[in-house]
Amino acid sequence: MTVDTHSDGPLIEFPANGDLVAEMADRGWGDGLPLVAPTPERVKAMLSGLNEPDGPSLDPDEIISILPPRFGEVSRQILAVNAVMAGCLPVHFPVLVAAVRALARPEVNLRGINATTHCVAPLLIVHGEIARTGGYNGGLGAFGPGNRANATTGRALRLVLLHVAGATIGAGDASTQGGPAKYGFCIAENMDASPWPTYPTTVGVNAPSSVTIYCGEAPHNVHDMESDNPSQILNKVASAMATTAQNNACISQGEYLVALCPEHAATCAEAGWSRHDVASYLFQKARLPAAELKEAFSLRAWPPWMNCLRDDELAPMTGDQKNIRVLVVGGPGKHSSVIPSWGMTRSVTVAVDQQVSC
Amino acid sequence: MLIYRPDGAVAQDPDRSAPELAPALPVLAGSRIGILDNRKPNADVLLHRLANRLVERTGAIVVRTDTKNAALPCEDQVLGLLAEQVDLILTGTAD
Repeated sequence: MTVDTHSDGPLIEFPANGDLVAEMADRGWGDGLPLVAPTPERVKAMLSGLNEPDGPSLDPDEIISILPPRFGEVSRQILAVNAVMAGCLPVHFPVLVAAVRALARPEVNLRGINATTHCVAPLLIVHGEIARTGGYNGGLGAFGPGNRANATTGRALRLVLLHVAGATIGAGDASTQGGPAKYGFCIAENMDASPWPTYPTTVGVNAPSSVTIYCGEAPHNVHDMESDNPSQILNKVASAMATTAQNNACISQGEYLVALCPEHAATCAEAGWSRHDVASYLFQKARLPAAELKEAFSLRAWPPWMNCLRDDELAPMTGDQKNIRVLVVGGPGKHSSVIPSWGMTRSVTVAVDQQVSC
Repeated sequence: MLIYRPDGAVAQDPDRSAPELAPALPVLAGSRIGILDNRKPNADVLLHRLANRLVERTGAIVVRTDTKNAALPCEDQVLGLLAEQVDLILTGTAD
């Protein structure tokens, strides 16, 4: 069942020389930055990003996701409108389709993600062939700024959350301080510089192109210029993970995204460490005294075995090493990052399909 | 010029399978009040204060306190138990 909330239809009149940002803001739309006017011609061109020259034409009105807390329907058409407004190119559109499908998966818990007082934002990670053809940056400066694909695709996803999901400040988004990642949060996995198989294969997704949605904080830097062995580098990664100042600290199902720079990853791989070895080591080393965690959090979402730890024992920052997600991002230099999740959410990886109906 | 709206239509909340509200209780005297604490700090303080005031004023009985995680919808099992055991539920707080 659909509830029509529009008194003036899907098209609205807008003065050609008017201030689009102001007009949109008057209606509660936009992210504060300049917007591209979503004219019928531009939206039609954006939708063409899904259609192969000789392939079937996809229905623009088909609903591909329903996003809370507003429970707005994401049709291809509405998604294209937001993609145009953000400045995307048609080649980026299949990434967005996959991203909104992933956002709607129940394990993401988008209602909580959007509504919480925490600063969490969905990070969109692009993998595989479409990262190359779409011009996504997983190398130097991947988190930004400066790359159109990363900037506009991440921004388009946020516009969808604002406009369709209803994650507007104060109404559907209670984030105490907000956060820069809420403007746009999109990177590519740097497969050219990764010593390990592509990340989606570790979660059972084998497709030429795919995307991961991981809902977390902005990146926490890990700086190591001098180490020539994995353990010294990863001890610093573990240090960034082991703080009581993050949502994950009292939630054992919380995930950590460990974005290793190519040089740190190479040091690990050259010593014979697999991605699994890295996660295993971090699970063992990212720990705090149980007493410290119990003192910090009277309410803990821990499994029984963690609650049985003596005060003088070390408690892991997450209940399972599978919750430590490792991939390679960045360019030359020795800076990695840790992105703690919000806690009550799970990352999701889905294939990008340019032809098949969602 | 003409431009598209970016918000689209609203779907019926799939969680709202019973959209009709239950009828209000005509009197609270003798009714059983459940407390669904979302575990946010101070939620229990506020909810218990409210419940105690109702008990003082109406003679209602607080029969159950239950909890859930604030970040997730309440489990159906918990709601089912509460529905069997109480006439009224106090909930809906945050920090």
